[in-house]
Amino acid sequence: MTSLERILSRVERPARYVGGEFNAVVKDWDKTPVRIAFAFPDVYEVGMSHLGLHILYHVVNSREDALMERVFAPWTDMEREMRREGLSLFSLESHRSLADFDVLAFTLQYELSYTNVLNMLDLAGLPTAAHDRRAGMPLVVAGGPCAFNPEPLAPFLDAVFLGEGEEGLHDLVEVVKKHGRTRSSRAELLRALAGIPGVYVPCLYRAEYASDGTLAGVRPVVSGIPERVRKRVVQDLDQAAYPTKPIVPYLEAVHDRAMLEVFRGCTRGCRFCQAGAIYRPVREKNPGILLAQAAELLKNTGYDELSLTSLSTTDYSRIGELVGALVDRHQGEQVNVSLPSLRVDAFAVELARAVQAVRKSGLTFAPEAGSQRLRDVINKQVTDEDLLQAVGAAFAAGWHRVKLYFMLGLPTETLDDIAGIARLARRVLERGRECGVARGRLNVTVSTSSFVPKPHTPFQWEAQTPLPELRERQAFLQGALRGKNLVYRGHEPETSFLEAVFARGDRRLGAVLTRALELGCRMDGWRECFRFDLWQRAFSETGLDPGAYANRTYRYTDVLPWDHLDTGVDREYLAAEHQRALTGETTPDCRGQECAGCGLCPGLAVEPRVLEAGGGAG
Amino acid sequence: MRVRLVYRQEGPARFISHLDVMRAFERAARRAELPLAYSQGFNPRPKLVFAAPLPVGTSGCREYVDLELEGDLAPEEVLDRLCRNLPGGLVPFGARSAVGPPLMSLVRRACYLAAGDLPRGFSAGHLEEGIARFLARREIAAERKTAKGIRRKDIRPGIHRLKAQSDGDRLKLTMKLEAGSARNVRPDEVVRALGVDLELDAESFNVLRTAVLSREGVLLWDL
Repeated sequence: MTSLERILSRVERPARYVGGEFNAVVKDWDKTPVRIAFAFPDVYEVGMSHLGLHILYHVVNSREDALMERVFAPWTDMEREMRREGLSLFSLESHRSLADFDVLAFTLQYELSYTNVLNMLDLAGLPTAAHDRRAGMPLVVAGGPCAFNPEPLAPFLDAVFLGEGEEGLHDLVEVVKKHGRTRSSRAELLRALAGIPGVYVPCLYRAEYASDGTLAGVRPVVSGIPERVRKRVVQDLDQAAYPTKPIVPYLEAVHDRAMLEVFRGCTRGCRFCQAGAIYRPVREKNPGILLAQAAELLKNTGYDELSLTSLSTTDYSRIGELVGALVDRHQGEQVNVSLPSLRVDAFAVELARAVQAVRKSGLTFAPEAGSQRLRDVINKQVTDEDLLQAVGAAFAAGWHRVKLYFMLGLPTETLDDIAGIARLARRVLERGRECGVARGRLNVTVSTSSFVPKPHTPFQWEAQTPLPELRERQAFLQGALRGKNLVYRGHEPETSFLEAVFARGDRRLGAVLTRALELGCRMDGWRECFRFDLWQRAFSETGLDPGAYANRTYRYTDVLPWDHLDTGVDREYLAAEHQRALTGETTPDCRGQECAGCGLCPGLAVEPRVLEAGGGAG
Repeated sequence: MRVRLVYRQEGPARFISHLDVMRAFERAARRAELPLAYSQGFNPRPKLVFAAPLPVGTSGCREYVDLELEGDLAPEEVLDRLCRNLPGGLVPFGARSAVGPPLMSLVRRACYLAAGDLPRGFSAGHLEEGIARFLARREIAAERKTAKGIRRKDIRPGIHRLKAQSDGDRLKLTMKLEAGSARNVRPDEVVRALGVDLELDAESFNVLRTAVLSREGVLLWDL
C-alpha cells in the first residue's frame, strides 16, 4: 500500500485527491515536451466549478506537444497527513509531484486564497520566493481576475498573465518549449516570457518608493519590455476553443452542472464591479453555435442541468429564443436549463419561470444598494419599482422565498441608505403578502457584504469604510430588519477588510503573506479556518499597517500599485466615472447606441459584439 | 424492463462514496443514451437500484446494480454502451435481464478479502490462536460515525466467518459479514477490532469485496 493510499483512509472526501474522473485527460508524460499543472488555490469542489479551468485544460490538452493536469489545495486534514508522511503535493492525473512540471499555472480568483498559493508551493517542496527557485524548477505563473493587481504576490510569481488565456497560453507553451527543456538559464526564459503580449514578469520591474513610503512607480529594469503590460483579449468568441468535453467530477462540485458561456463581458458599467471592467468588451456568441455546444456538452457529460453562465446572462440579446430552443431540444432528456444570476426585472423572472419546472429554491436579486440615490452613485440602473415588479412576478409564479443582496460601505453611503435596505425589504415582504403567499412560507432574506474597492474600477481611489464603522452599520441594519418573515445575513467584515488590503496592496505585502502562512493562516476564505488574530499578528510583526492599504483614499495623482498593468480602460475614463458617481450621475449601458468612451475598443483593436434581437436561433 | 449489471469498482474509484457512484452511473447512463425509466414526482430520478453500498476505500470485484429501462434493449447492448461511458474505475463485465424483488432487499451477506502487513515474528499458530480468541469473544465493540454522532455497536453477531492466512510478511483475511440489514458489519470494523487484539497495523490493509449474497448464500447474479 502506498503512503497516499494509507493517507486517504484518514481524510474526509478522499475523492478530492484521486482523479480518474470521466473526461479527465491523462497523457504520456515522457512523450509530451511541455507539462503544465493548473493549480487552483482552493479545494477541489470549488476549483472544479470554475469554467476557466475547463477552458484552459481543453486548450492545452488539444495540443500534441503539451499536457495540462490539475491540482487543488488540499483541505487542512489532508495537508496535515501529507506533511506527516512527507508526501509532495501532486497532480490528479499522473499523481506526480508539482516539482516535476515545467509550469505551475495558478488562477487568482480571490485575494483570500493567496496563502494557499504559497502553501501549495511549499507542499510541493518548492521555495515560495521566486528568486530562490533555480533552473530545473517549475515556472510559477498566475492569471485570473486578481492578476490585475498581482503585486502582493510579486515576490512569489515568475510571470503573470493578464486577460483571456485561450490564445495567449499557446504563446506561453511555445516559449517554454523553446527555452524550458534546456533549462539553461532561468533569467533568459523569464526575459523571453516578458516578450509575450499580456505577460508581466514581476522581477523585471522594480517598485520604487518615495521618502514618505508611498509608491513612486513600478518600472522595467531592462529595456525592450513594455512600461505597461496590456491584457490579452479574444476577438471572436465564436471561434474560440470551448470545452464541450469537460471533466465530470465524482464529487458534487459547487456548480455541479454543464456550463455554457453565452457571452463574455458586461455592458452595464456598475462602478464597483471589477469583472465588468476587466472582461470588456462584451462579446455575444452566435445562438446557433451555443445550441450546438449545448448539445455536445450534454451528450459528453450526462449532466441533467445546463447553466447559462455569463456576467449578466439575461442581458444576452437573444436570450428568449435561446432559452426557448434549449428547452425545446432538451426537455425530453430531463434537462433543466438554469440562469445563475437574475437581472432585477419581471422579464428575467418570467424567463426563470419558463425554464424552471420545479421551484426548488428561492430567487436571488441584487439591488446592491437600498436607495435610488446610492444606486445612481454605483450606476446600478435598477429602481424600487423594477425590484417590486420582479418579486411580484416571482411570488405570482409560485416562489415564496426571495433573497436580496446588498453591499454595505459603498462610497457616500449614509445611515438613511442603509435604512433604505430595510424599507425595501419590507416592501418586498408586503408584495409577497399581496400576492397571497402563505405567511408561514413567505421569506425575505437580506444578505450583505462589505464593499471592497477594486483595482481598475472607478472606485479604485476610494477608501474602504473602516472595520468598526462596518460593524456598526451591520448592527444598525440588523436592528432595522427585525420582524416576522425577515432574515438578515451579514458577512464577516474582517474578511472584506483583508480582501481590500490585498486587492489594493503593493509588493511589500509579500512579507505579510509569508509570515501569515508561517503562523498557520490558510484557507482564509473558509470561516472555520479564518484567523483574523493571526493576520493582525502577521501585520504587526512585519511592521505594515493594513489600514494604510484598505482605508486609504488615493488621489488621482497618486501612483497606484497596478498602474503599470493595463486593462484597456483609460484611467481618465475611470476618474471621470468616479466624478460622475460622486455627483450621482449615471452612465448608459454600452449595449445601446451610446458609447461611454472607456477607450478600450480602439486601444485593444477589438469591437463589442452585440447581436440584433430577434430572428431564428440556429 | 430491468437489466442487472455486474461491475468492478477498482483503483481510484474505490475512494468514491456510494452517493457519488450512484451519480456516476446515472450520468454514464445518460451519456450512453439508455432509455432510463424515471421516478414520478417533482424531482424525477432515474430508477437505478444498487445491491449494497461499498464502504469508501474498499474495492469490489462483483458489485451489482439494476437499471429500469423504458422499453426493451438487449442486456449486451446496455453493457456495451455503459462500458464506453463509465469512468475508468467502474468496469461492468456482465448484464442480464432481471425480475423479482428490489435488488437491495435481497442482500444479507457479503464476502471480503483484506490483505495487509503481518507483524514480525508472528507464527501461523500464533495467528490461528488469535483469531479463535477474537471469535470467542462474547462482544466485539466497534464505533461508527453517524449523523447523530458516534455510536457504539456490537459487531460479533454480524461476523459469520473469519479466516486468516499468512504469506511471508503479509496477512490475508477472508470474511463473510452480515450486510443489507441493521446488523450489517463493515470490513474495516473487523480489521480494526482484530488489529487491536493482535497488534496489527489496520491502516496497511487493502479491502476487496468479493461477493454479495442473499440470505440463502446465493450470489445475487444467480437469483
